[in-house]
Amino acid sequence: MVNKIAGMLMLVLLLTGCSTDQRILDKLGMVQTIALDQADGDKLLVTASIPVIDPNAELKREILQAETNSVKEARLVFSRQTDLRMVSGQMRELLFGIDLAEKGLWKYVETQLRDPSVGFSVKLTVVDGKAGELLAAEHKPHADTGRYITHLLEKEAAGNNIPATTLYEFSRDYNDDGIDVIAPIVADGGSKVRVTGIALFAGDRVVMRVPVKEGLIFALCRGNLKRGEAAINLGDTIGKPEVVVFSSVTSKRKVKVHRMQDGRFKVDLYVSLQGSVLDYTGERTLREEKDRHELEKELSLSIEDKAEQLIRQMQQKKTDALGFGQYVRGRLSYKAWKAMDWRETFPEVEVDCRAKVKIKDYGKYM
Amino acid sequence: MAEQHERLSLEHILHEFEDCADLTRRNFPEIGADIVYFSHTVDNLLLINQVLDPLSALQRKKELEQLLRESQFVRVTDSKTAVTGILEGGVAVFAADTVHLIDVYGPEARSVSESETESIIAGPHDAFVESATTNISLIRRRIRSSHLKVIHCSVGEISKTDVYILYIKDIANLAYVQDLQQRIERIETDAINDGGMLSQYLEDKQTSVFPQFLTTERPDVSSSKLVSGKILVLIDNSPTSISAPASFFEFFSSSDDYYERWVLGTALRLVRYVALIITLTFTALYVAVTTFHYEMIPEALLLTLAESRNRVPFPPVYEALLMEFTIELLREAGARLPTKVGQTIGIVGGIVIGQAAVQAGLTSNILIISVASSAIASFVIPNYLMSASLRVIRFGIIILAGIWGNMGLVIAIAVIVIHLCSLSSLGASYLVPVAPMRGRDWKDVFIRAPFSLLLTRPTQNRTPNPIRQKNRK
Repeated sequence: MVNKIAGMLMLVLLLTGCSTDQRILDKLGMVQTIALDQADGDKLLVTASIPVIDPNAELKREILQAETNSVKEARLVFSRQTDLRMVSGQMRELLFGIDLAEKGLWKYVETQLRDPSVGFSVKLTVVDGKAGELLAAEHKPHADTGRYITHLLEKEAAGNNIPATTLYEFSRDYNDDGIDVIAPIVADGGSKVRVTGIALFAGDRVVMRVPVKEGLIFALCRGNLKRGEAAINLGDTIGKPEVVVFSSVTSKRKVKVHRMQDGRFKVDLYVSLQGSVLDYTGERTLREEKDRHELEKELSLSIEDKAEQLIRQMQQKKTDALGFGQYVRGRLSYKAWKAMDWRETFPEVEVDCRAKVKIKDYGKYM
Repeated sequence: MAEQHERLSLEHILHEFEDCADLTRRNFPEIGADIVYFSHTVDNLLLINQVLDPLSALQRKKELEQLLRESQFVRVTDSKTAVTGILEGGVAVFAADTVHLIDVYGPEARSVSESETESIIAGPHDAFVESATTNISLIRRRIRSSHLKVIHCSVGEISKTDVYILYIKDIANLAYVQDLQQRIERIETDAINDGGMLSQYLEDKQTSVFPQFLTTERPDVSSSKLVSGKILVLIDNSPTSISAPASFFEFFSSSDDYYERWVLGTALRLVRYVALIITLTFTALYVAVTTFHYEMIPEALLLTLAESRNRVPFPPVYEALLMEFTIELLREAGARLPTKVGQTIGIVGGIVIGQAAVQAGLTSNILIISVASSAIASFVIPNYLMSASLRVIRFGIIILAGIWGNMGLVIAIAVIVIHLCSLSSLGASYLVPVAPMRGRDWKDVFIRAPFSLLLTRPTQNRTPNPIRQKNRK
């Protein structure tokens, strides 16, 4: 018994010597955001933003920059520039410059995925322009640009219009068959950071951008929405400016796949949207049931039009960001699916969109 | 043995009590009688009524013989009995060549007052005092049944302290009663001064940090334990009663759970279990997270936490141990001092040390919060012995968390759970109703269900009569 206790004590005392994996909070440089850009040659320009812990410090963050061949190598370069131990366990945001995003991102995403201290919920965003410059720029009154972008995207994602893409979603969609990756795009808008649209990927390369005003249509086609807000502009369809603003939007999408006689696939996309009208600038009286139904019909037509246009563009760029491939895969045997190159087949698919809008109520006072 | 055969005489008894200045001897020359007693162990009124008045009224020796034939006078023949009799509050009457003892025991005792350590808000406020007979009377007053049995033993080779085992026939399990009685009789030590001390002699594993019998100074708690089939041990000169067998979870229930509405009782019980977790792990978690697992900190908290740690010169373990130690110092100082000075200590400790330590950069704000809430949580646990044990264990957990982080925290918790599993109370598992699983008991352990659902006595007591209440429908 005494020997056992002595042994345990020895173990406790000796093993304390091994505790070099201590990471005491105040001695860490916790990278909040990493921005990656294409540099000269095949090199990477890595910019990291680290919050400054000292409450009396004038600057709230520290920007470190290095030109290296890999992200992890950059960490070594950074730690030579700072008195803190560089760790990536508190990373929240990965920004990619558009140059890099158009050349392919997977290898950079993969390094992050393989780092066990990086969480799966790190956000992944494409920057229209140089990511490093955006991160290094000051955007008053926001003391920390990295944090500002993170919160901006979080808020946008909650409003349903622009999806926030996490590391997990990126790798899931990238590795899955029959769906392509999407990511939000931000740009430096002078004093502010602006969300400018959605980047659609083919594989790991950005091939297409959906502008913000079509974000809603894209979101309706991609999945189900809850508690969103939506403004639908009827101007394009009926020729005169008319806007309907919905609140408490819930939408459902349904996808049906048929095989046509010539062997091509036909995808029927059903979108149904419900919401209460918050604002309406047209001339109809919503009180009249007939008028309301007409408005609903016009809205549906407008959504159908825009959706089909959007999907046609996507087909041209060969990016299936809406995930139709998954429904097609469900119709096929494994062999037949494997034999088919979906990326090449997708442009041939005939897509038919049917939208159904329902005005739940109107005349709400805020 | 040799003493017993010695001739019993006044001279002999006086010789036995030589140099005992507190011994009183009185002489009645008319009837040739002597009485010997300790004035402070006898009840004065009884002494006058039963001994002094009758003896002074006598004129002749013949009448004395007649008086001594009355049943309150017990004839003794050996000197050992006479000595014990006098020590236990008797008066020895020496007449001619016979010796009689009369019991007029009634020492000075504190009157029944409120409990300081186990006060409750609603419910009876009386508490046990230092006299076992008064304590038994407090129980008898609550349980008016001839089935309430009292076994008398005595412990302490020198002190010969009275110990009473109380149980209710047909509800308590006699095997437990016998076991407990044997354990009490087996104790060989010079003196036992308190129930808490006695309970350690009776425990299954004396080296454990956890108390294995429930000690209380509340008669309402004790009688409810008796009625649920447990056995009660009272020891003279101590207000602490022991009830056995006990389970770990019993220490987290308080008697006012039953005096208040069941919803409130249930909520309070849950609060105490949360307090258990907080007091054991909160500071340790702080240490583990700030030393090893910075990844775990939510974004909103990260800067606050890092800023508060910013100026602290020590690693988090030392910081935490320092503050925990300070709190223990304060607590101990407060316990030793009179109430009025104790308040000053609280203010000095709370404001001066807490505030100043942070401003001086010795500790972080958040650590102060975590240490303070662990300390408060430990006081939520109703049983003082249990809460003290948990506070001691906390130090071990903090040290392990400082060495191995969350891994150490988990190891510490695992060791505690394993240790708890190995404990037993009077041979019954300490972790009933969790291990072994007794689902039926849960509604009176983790929650306090309405009385209409509390139909049975706890299974741990192995009572021959498990039905507490017939189902009324």
